[in-house]
Amino acid sequence: MGAESDRPLPPEPVEPDGPRVGVDEWVASADRLQDRPAGVAGALRRAGGVVTPPIQLAIFAGLAATVPFWLGTGDLFTYGIFVLLYVLLGLGLNTIVGFAGLLDLGYVAFFGFGAYMYAILSSDHYGIHWPAIVSVPLVVVTTASLGLLLGIPSRRLLGDYLAIVTLFFGQAFVVFVNATNPVVAGKGLTGGPNGIADIDPLSFFGLEATTRTQQYYVLLVSAVLILTALHFVNQSRTGRALRSLREDPLAAGAIGIPVNRLKLMAFAIGAGIAGFTGCIFGTLLTAVTAGNFDIPILITIYAVVILGGFGSLSGVVLGALVITVSFQFLAPENPQNNARVLFYLLIALVIVLLLRSWWRVALVLAATVALGVAVQGVVEAVAPSWAGGPVVEGGRLGDLIDSWVLIPEGHADFGNVAYVALVVAVLAVTQLRPSRRIFALPAVAYLAAVVWETSFVLQPAVARWILFGALLVVLMNVRPQGLLGTPRVEIV
Amino acid sequence: MQLPLFSVLDTVRELGWSGAVELFRNGLALGSLYALIALGYTMVYGILKLLNFAHGDVYMVGAFIGFGVLNAFGGSPSPSIAILPLIVLMFVVAMLGSGVLGVVIERFAYRPLRSSPRLTLLITALGVSFFLQNSMLLLFGAQFRSYQSFQLGSDNPAAFEPGPLFEPVFTIADVNFQRIQLVVFATSVALMVALTLLVAKTTLGKAMRATAFDHEAAAMMGIDVNRVIAATFFIGSVLAGAAGVMFGLMFSQINHFMGFYAGLKGFTAAVVGGIGSIPGAMLGGLLVGLVESYAQGYLGGQWSDIAVFGILIFVLLVRPTGLLGARAIQKV
Amino acid sequence: MNAGAPLLELRHVGKTFGGLRSVADLELEVGEGEIVSLIGPNGAGKTTVFNLVTGIYAPDEGEIRLEGRDITGLPPHRIAQLGIARTFQTLRLFLNMSVKENVMAAAYGHTKAGVIRSVLRTPGMRREEREIEQLAEERLAFFGDRLVGYRWRQPAYSLSYANRRRLEIARATAVNPKILLLDEPAAGMNPVETHEITDLIGRLRDEGGYTILVIEHDMHVVEGISDRVVALDHGEKIAEGAFDRVATDPRVVEAYLGTTGTERK
Repeated sequence: MGAESDRPLPPEPVEPDGPRVGVDEWVASADRLQDRPAGVAGALRRAGGVVTPPIQLAIFAGLAATVPFWLGTGDLFTYGIFVLLYVLLGLGLNTIVGFAGLLDLGYVAFFGFGAYMYAILSSDHYGIHWPAIVSVPLVVVTTASLGLLLGIPSRRLLGDYLAIVTLFFGQAFVVFVNATNPVVAGKGLTGGPNGIADIDPLSFFGLEATTRTQQYYVLLVSAVLILTALHFVNQSRTGRALRSLREDPLAAGAIGIPVNRLKLMAFAIGAGIAGFTGCIFGTLLTAVTAGNFDIPILITIYAVVILGGFGSLSGVVLGALVITVSFQFLAPENPQNNARVLFYLLIALVIVLLLRSWWRVALVLAATVALGVAVQGVVEAVAPSWAGGPVVEGGRLGDLIDSWVLIPEGHADFGNVAYVALVVAVLAVTQLRPSRRIFALPAVAYLAAVVWETSFVLQPAVARWILFGALLVVLMNVRPQGLLGTPRVEIV
Repeated sequence: MQLPLFSVLDTVRELGWSGAVELFRNGLALGSLYALIALGYTMVYGILKLLNFAHGDVYMVGAFIGFGVLNAFGGSPSPSIAILPLIVLMFVVAMLGSGVLGVVIERFAYRPLRSSPRLTLLITALGVSFFLQNSMLLLFGAQFRSYQSFQLGSDNPAAFEPGPLFEPVFTIADVNFQRIQLVVFATSVALMVALTLLVAKTTLGKAMRATAFDHEAAAMMGIDVNRVIAATFFIGSVLAGAAGVMFGLMFSQINHFMGFYAGLKGFTAAVVGGIGSIPGAMLGGLLVGLVESYAQGYLGGQWSDIAVFGILIFVLLVRPTGLLGARAIQKV
Repeated sequence: MNAGAPLLELRHVGKTFGGLRSVADLELEVGEGEIVSLIGPNGAGKTTVFNLVTGIYAPDEGEIRLEGRDITGLPPHRIAQLGIARTFQTLRLFLNMSVKENVMAAAYGHTKAGVIRSVLRTPGMRREEREIEQLAEERLAFFGDRLVGYRWRQPAYSLSYANRRRLEIARATAVNPKILLLDEPAAGMNPVETHEITDLIGRLRDEGGYTILVIEHDMHVVEGISDRVVALDHGEKIAEGAFDRVATDPRVVEAYLGTTGTERK
């Protein structure tokens, strides 16, 4: 001990006899209170804790199994089957991006590769008709290996560079399949822009899946199995290692986690799932073309995972459901009232989320309607041509809309002007203080309704993407972790 | 379609010197565009670590604004004012318009998320991109618009005589170098030189470099970080707007989707050159333009895209941080 | 392994970064059961030594041996599996994972249930999971009441600074290392916490049996724990020995405080 050192030693720690500021116990006891969140949200959170993943899965499987009984065949295809397809694809993407944190912008190419490979092996294209029991596993393994290959650059490339390399692979796949179409054994390997048709339906041991209901159940069983498998992986040491890798690859390596090997594995698993889904997809449509595997599909898969929350399995299911159903509602072929209802509900939802109390919400909604009726009345009296336009595909709601929303007749540019005005208005409202906002809301909501009836309803496919883009921006600002994800803290 | 190596060599020999020069000319012109777009990407990345997917769409809006100005004065082939002031006006209005758009996007979509994780910002940028593209689609419809620049200002449009833009200025190895290509290349170089001087010599440039290095420290040194970031977006978008008008003048046809591919190539150029590096973006842009041009010429449309991707991936594998990118030294 | 051979050896280790010699011709030994402190002014190369030993950088010259085995140039996860664990100067926890999970993650290197067995939930895999959990609880219990009970499930970002430092140490011990590298464990701690850390490091050696190499600036801590002190400056070793000798070595004093102007070497 240094007699030379003048500075006093730090004091010995004293065991606290009660909570004191500056001593750990105080913080600890305050913390314990926080563990039981209060109010309705808290009760919901605790209830959510009771519904554990196995129960969630059972509920999902149970409900999903009943769907063919109440949806017609056409709807079963567009809704039921496509939701499940996106669940599967979302699970695969979630493994790569959500679990391992690797930004793969070429993911849809795995899906396409699986579909095309199965199509080549089990169709009339080359006359090879390998049974599904052989071709499906082969496709899955090959696609997984392709995933490994794509994962190799991830060793050397930091996040953004990996994103671009994977994006290239995705684009290269589309170009290869569409345009390059090399001639192998006498004909174009991938069928060029026409793709490959006459794909064999799925059959195992003599049981064929030819009806939509059968195919639906095949997909449902696959989804349940894969969900279970991924859940177990998540709970295991591999899942922990993947999450550590996502959090901080350097620290993960320092505690003995083989970072590169795990990245490759994540790629392989994600790719394998996509490859499997590709096979099934081929048998569903009995034909595949490059257009099925391009950027819009990639975006949709990402939307599913973003909305549901990266890293959350139940989020993928919820995301797939919401995205598929709303995209379908906004498809041009659909009767407009589905989309219309969805849109108006969306406006109402935004108002609900913005205002904290129910009576304020009611007030704003009433004000919106009143404003509408008033505007309609005034315009009808002053300049009738501006109010008389027909409601596009109004159906049962037509008269209701007509009396409330201003739809000018014959003023072609009105829709565009209204749209620009709406964008400006929304941006302006975000700049207002919350207390002032409530006054602007009815006008903006009404304007939104006008834009819908005069502009969006005429081009629903475009409106779909506009709303989707707006949704992404709003979602990231308001709830970046998605619906069922957990809020993340990141070291910047 | 097969790709035996000797068939490629045959094509090279067939096209000969004049072919090579022509492809070079095309590559330079195209590369200049990509370089301008890449600069916007790289500057924003340097300062915010954000890959601004909406950047390509700002370029598209610039092209449309130029088109709007052109048509406001009667359009091709005989506009109501002289060609030179018309083109200058198109550039100025488009550049300003794009610049403002860029600032607005930053202000409303990105600024609230300044301290969010990178993935969040990326997704927001994607959302903005969809929003912009489809808004243009909604407002202006799906049909392609054309600058019809070939005959702009032509004395005899009915006879398909080229206007002043497409008049050959000189010829090398039987290949005509048209005025517009020279204008594009020269303007791009001028803009890039201006940008380099701005970043290296002016106070704003210094502020930009400081903010790119460390936001907090820059703020503590009295730099208004918000203003610097807005300025960065403005400048990047101005360049993109210029590129949009140039595209319209060179290739005439514009559509609401053109931002996607150009943005992709510009983004690639920025990454290959080393994202965050301004000279890298320029180099990357030219490289991508030349590779694309030569691949188109020698390999044909079917393989050219793949060749472009392949070469660029190769560059990244050899130099993972891009040609002129900073070696990422992580302080542990 | 020879009895009497040092646990960790650095021989003629050098590392240059773009012209700057960060570590120069370093000779360092740590014997089993020793606590050695590495001191020196900022920029002396101390953390670089850690990074070299743990494989984050490969040395430009020289070799590093663990228990006589050459580990120079091995990847970090391999070195961790061979028995070297560390904490970081700037704290690198898995903030969004729970306290217990942070520690459990460190058991990866010495456990073996693969993906297939995890999906099938074999009895062997489940047993291993229980063992990993127990291991984590034990290691966390080393710090008294602070990181136990309801704390296990809380996300790491909810912890106070001092608790985060403790968690990082707990995580490092879960690697089951032979030697622990602690990078400024007392940084940013108040006097009470500093005293605790000093005790803790002693307990880690006495109860846990770890060999420990510590980078530290707080001389109280260094004095309280070290069997031996090694001083670095500009990447070179300038003194080595017991604390009293090194602390009063004129070269060490000069490195920290600069020359007085009257005497120049």
